[in-house]
Amino acid sequence: MTLSINQPTTTADDVEQDLLRFLKQHTKKSWEPDVDLFASGAVSSLFAMQLVMFLEKNFDIAIGGDNLTLANFRTVNAMTALVRRLSDE
Amino acid sequence: MSDDLTAAALVTELVGDRADGWDREGRIPTEVIRELGAKGLLCAEVPARLGGLGLTSLQNGEFTAHVGSLCSSLRSLLTSQGMAAWAIQRFGSKEQQVHYLSRLTSGEVVGIAFSEPGAGSDLFAMSTEIRVEGDSVVLEGTKVWVTGAAYADLLVVIGRFGDGAAAAIVPADAPGVTVERVSNPMGCRAAGHAGVHLAAVRLPVDALLRGAGQPLSMLVTSALTYGRVSVAWGCAGILRACLTAAARHAKSRRQFGKPLAEHQLIGRHLAELLVAEQVTTRVCEHASRCWDSGSPEMITAAVVAKHVSAGHAARSASTAVQVLASAGASDGHVVARAYRDAKLMEIIEGSSEICQLMLAEHALAVAS
Repeated sequence: MTLSINQPTTTADDVEQDLLRFLKQHTKKSWEPDVDLFASGAVSSLFAMQLVMFLEKNFDIAIGGDNLTLANFRTVNAMTALVRRLSDE
Repeated sequence: MSDDLTAAALVTELVGDRADGWDREGRIPTEVIRELGAKGLLCAEVPARLGGLGLTSLQNGEFTAHVGSLCSSLRSLLTSQGMAAWAIQRFGSKEQQVHYLSRLTSGEVVGIAFSEPGAGSDLFAMSTEIRVEGDSVVLEGTKVWVTGAAYADLLVVIGRFGDGAAAAIVPADAPGVTVERVSNPMGCRAAGHAGVHLAAVRLPVDALLRGAGQPLSMLVTSALTYGRVSVAWGCAGILRACLTAAARHAKSRRQFGKPLAEHQLIGRHLAELLVAEQVTTRVCEHASRCWDSGSPEMITAAVVAKHVSAGHAARSASTAVQVLASAGASDGHVVARAYRDAKLMEIIEGSSEICQLMLAEHALAVAS
């Protein structure tokens, strides 16, 4: 897996692309950024936690406390926004 | 790392030959638990910046296996203290992390409460309620089989919180808290399992961990992932104790004019015990390396490790009793303890069947 990680210049577009690649790698299909991943049934409870881990590791953020809501992980768009927000903190 | 060796030697000395007696009495002397706790060894992965020893998962795993090879009851306390500490680190605010983790690394004992009378494998049936009233947090409900609760100063209680879930830190002596020891647990008999009743327990609101309101599945999966890795390492310890006991006995005990080990059917048992210990150690190492590198795979690797390790421990403990036969067939003997303790490992932190269901769901999501 080749990812551009931990670069201060990471843009929302990079985050989105990295996330889509990770999802494709693990679910074996392509996703649109606004699709509800949980409603689709493609995301197991274990994979939901893997997504949390992926975001933390690849974007060097800590997702704790009140950011661990399902709403923040429901779509690629939501996760991208979360990463941007936490990267700015 | 020399700290690990020192820690292992300390536990070897503290436990000595007393694990059998602790098992029969159903109690570990409080001073043993306090001494380990005060040295930070009950939750050795707490980072140094928060007062802990900062061991890696791999280092703490080997330490956990060592404790598990001596006494699964004591190892259970490491698992629950470590899991509670991880939940606080994961879901607490910075102030809560500093406040509580310094206490957990200086001698205080903590239990973490998930299961309820109507919510075992089906944790979504959990009914314990946590709510905020003004500047208080109020807890109401009943928890069962809380490891270490009989020794605990603090309890991390998981409950419903609005549409989601939350965890609150409850002093075991707070008004409204009743702790009732499980009278005759089949295994890990000295681990202080207890039921905890919470009758409108009212605490200052800062007892509520900041990550309140998140989905129950996320809260539980995150906390249990630590517990699964820890239980898996504990099973590696059970396997090492069984392998050692069986090999020593097979070498010294003579029947039909030769050592048991020279009877091929016994030799096969020894080989399978060795394989089980090796396989278990490898899956544990993998899960810990995933944890230490922050790999997303750690969530699944923890379930795989727990499932594989518990199964091997249960089957191998049975094998070890078979090899020792009457020599190991009294309560308190290391293989008799292993036999009872290992069976519980197939039940806690997600039963074998729940692990299989999670892995099946995962297989369908990622491999179909």
